[in-house]
Amino acid sequence: MLRFLNVVAILALVGSGFYAYSIKYQTMLRAEQINKMKREAKSERDAIAVLRAEWAFMTRPERVQDLADKYLDLKPLAVTQIATAQSLPEKPERIDSIGRKLDALGLGGAATTPAAVEAPTTPKGKPR
Amino acid sequence: MTAADPVKRAKPGLRGLLGTSLGKTAPRMRIVAAGFFCLYVGIGARLVVIGFKPDPTTMRRASGESIAASRPDVLDRNGEILATDVKTMSVFAEPRRLIDKDEATELLTAVLPNVDARELRDRLASRKGFVWVKREVTPKQRDEVFHLGLPGVGLVPENKRVYPNGPAAAHVLGYVNIDNAGIAGIEKYIDGQGLADLHDAGFSLTPEELKPISLSLDIKATHAVRDELEKGVAHFKAKAGAAAIMDVNTGEVIALASLPDYDPNKPPDMRDQNFINRMNVGVYEMGSTFKALTIAMALDSGKVNLNSRLDARGALSFGRFRIHDYHAQNRALTVPEVFTYSSNIGTARMALGQGVERHKAFLRKMGQLTRMRTELPESAEPIVPKNWGELNTMTIAFGHGLAVAPLQAMMAVSALMNGGYLMAPTFLKRSEEEARKDSVQVVKPETSEAMRYLMRLNAEIGTAKKVNVNGYYVGGKTGTAEKVIGGHYSKTRLFTTFMAVAPSDKPKYLFLTIMDEPQGLPETGGYATAAYNSGQVTAQIIERVGPLLGLPPRFDPPTQPFPLLARLGYGMANSPAHGGGGH
Repeated sequence: MLRFLNVVAILALVGSGFYAYSIKYQTMLRAEQINKMKREAKSERDAIAVLRAEWAFMTRPERVQDLADKYLDLKPLAVTQIATAQSLPEKPERIDSIGRKLDALGLGGAATTPAAVEAPTTPKGKPR
Repeated sequence: MTAADPVKRAKPGLRGLLGTSLGKTAPRMRIVAAGFFCLYVGIGARLVVIGFKPDPTTMRRASGESIAASRPDVLDRNGEILATDVKTMSVFAEPRRLIDKDEATELLTAVLPNVDARELRDRLASRKGFVWVKREVTPKQRDEVFHLGLPGVGLVPENKRVYPNGPAAAHVLGYVNIDNAGIAGIEKYIDGQGLADLHDAGFSLTPEELKPISLSLDIKATHAVRDELEKGVAHFKAKAGAAAIMDVNTGEVIALASLPDYDPNKPPDMRDQNFINRMNVGVYEMGSTFKALTIAMALDSGKVNLNSRLDARGALSFGRFRIHDYHAQNRALTVPEVFTYSSNIGTARMALGQGVERHKAFLRKMGQLTRMRTELPESAEPIVPKNWGELNTMTIAFGHGLAVAPLQAMMAVSALMNGGYLMAPTFLKRSEEEARKDSVQVVKPETSEAMRYLMRLNAEIGTAKKVNVNGYYVGGKTGTAEKVIGGHYSKTRLFTTFMAVAPSDKPKYLFLTIMDEPQGLPETGGYATAAYNSGQVTAQIIERVGPLLGLPPRFDPPTQPFPLLARLGYGMANSPAHGGGGH
């Protein structure tokens, strides 16, 4: 009985030893992974900083102006090119030109498709 | 062993199994057990102590990473990057650990061609623990140095400050030294806000922990201003020039350019006076733009109103001095005429009517006699006459005899435009409420409106017609000061200024352009006065930045731009001018 207990105890000892070591190595592995991720995140952040700086450098107004002068036919915006929302003309009434033509040909009433039946109401559009 | 006792007692038959003379040796065993127990408790305690101690290697790494300290990003008002940090590698050596110094020198100079071999040899021969080989190497050089595998030579990451916009806004941003410490401009201001203290205390701050600094500048407008100014300075062959835009309601500086300027990525020797920020480090006699202050003082006192007439029938004599008008009319002028003809005599008389003391007090209230402080560490004291007599008051009335920083004059004029609130200019983003909170009411709202009317009138019929950019309802004032050469005012060397406000009815932006010694050109009829050069440049700036700053153009003139004046009975201020009194 006692021998059996001893065997169990030894097995438990060996088992717990294995368990402890596996935990330890797992922890080390995880810690290494964390460190690696941290390093990666840091280098990514540095890369982002460099890219942001580069973006700012490439889009600096001085360069964009030079490129625009060289490759585009655009001119600086003139005051007269700016309009306000109020100065826009009224939306024109929508005209159903096909329906008109059909009416002129005397075919207006002949159509029996649902779209054609609704056609007379569409030209009115929304009153503004 | 303590567990052994109950077993022993409970099952006497097992005595043989568990040891023959355990009973006799038990006291000794206990002593040994106690000894081991103490030993393990000691080890355990030590483990706990070590566990709580911070890891020394990571500490060293963290401190090593901030050799060139990281700095917060500087952004413009729309979030565009004006200054940021990028990581670079620097090569260092530990001379005590180097085995063969000549070999190391040879290999390193082969990889880093712009390092002087002899100098490097001397540095490596020193008995120091640490020397720099080269700061800020390229990624390719970094790899090559790494592959040399020299013991005692290492690489350390550092921060390098970059200014992607180059010379645009350089005078505001300032620059840093190789250790990333601010030397001038906003960079120095940032250090002054406690960043340097944190670094000195050993905190290594990462860029993520630093909040970016938002400036009031708009980089697109700043570039446009600089571009137009550069063209203007080249066209009129001026020695130097500067231009700025200020938001009159918040005191924010929206754009600032001063030529000649420099690239903050490679700062020049700043002891060269030519590179100063002419807007707030240079002090100049502002010429006729100062007349706005004199007229505002006279109007605000109530002694003079818009219908008052001032005698300008001939030169104004004082002792052996005579004050002339550039556009002499030789008759009595009303206040608007004094402004539109830019009459020296009229403004001198107005200042005399106030007296020396009140004139001084008014200018002090407007912040023109003391050093103006902004976030920028560079500033200049105005040059104020030592013995301020009546003659000084007369000349200062039209902008001669008192030299102020142009930004200081802008501060005063924007107070005259915005309803009378004097607010210190700022280079940091600020809201209208914050600006109002710290402002002082220096003139009445009616006076401010009268000044806006005069500025507008001057752009319609007066000396500032050049700046009447269609759609923005601009008002303006020219100023031409003769430079003092050898103790005398020179007729040919001029300093021209131009102040413009847009729109005049609801002021938003104040524009100032200054030029040092612009030349007359054939197309200007040989004239080199402010309207032809600074005025021209200001007009181009307004036309270009108006859409950028979201200033809506209007083609119908506002129906009642000056309501307070209308209530005071100056109906004429609200009817469009029809060239009356123009020239």
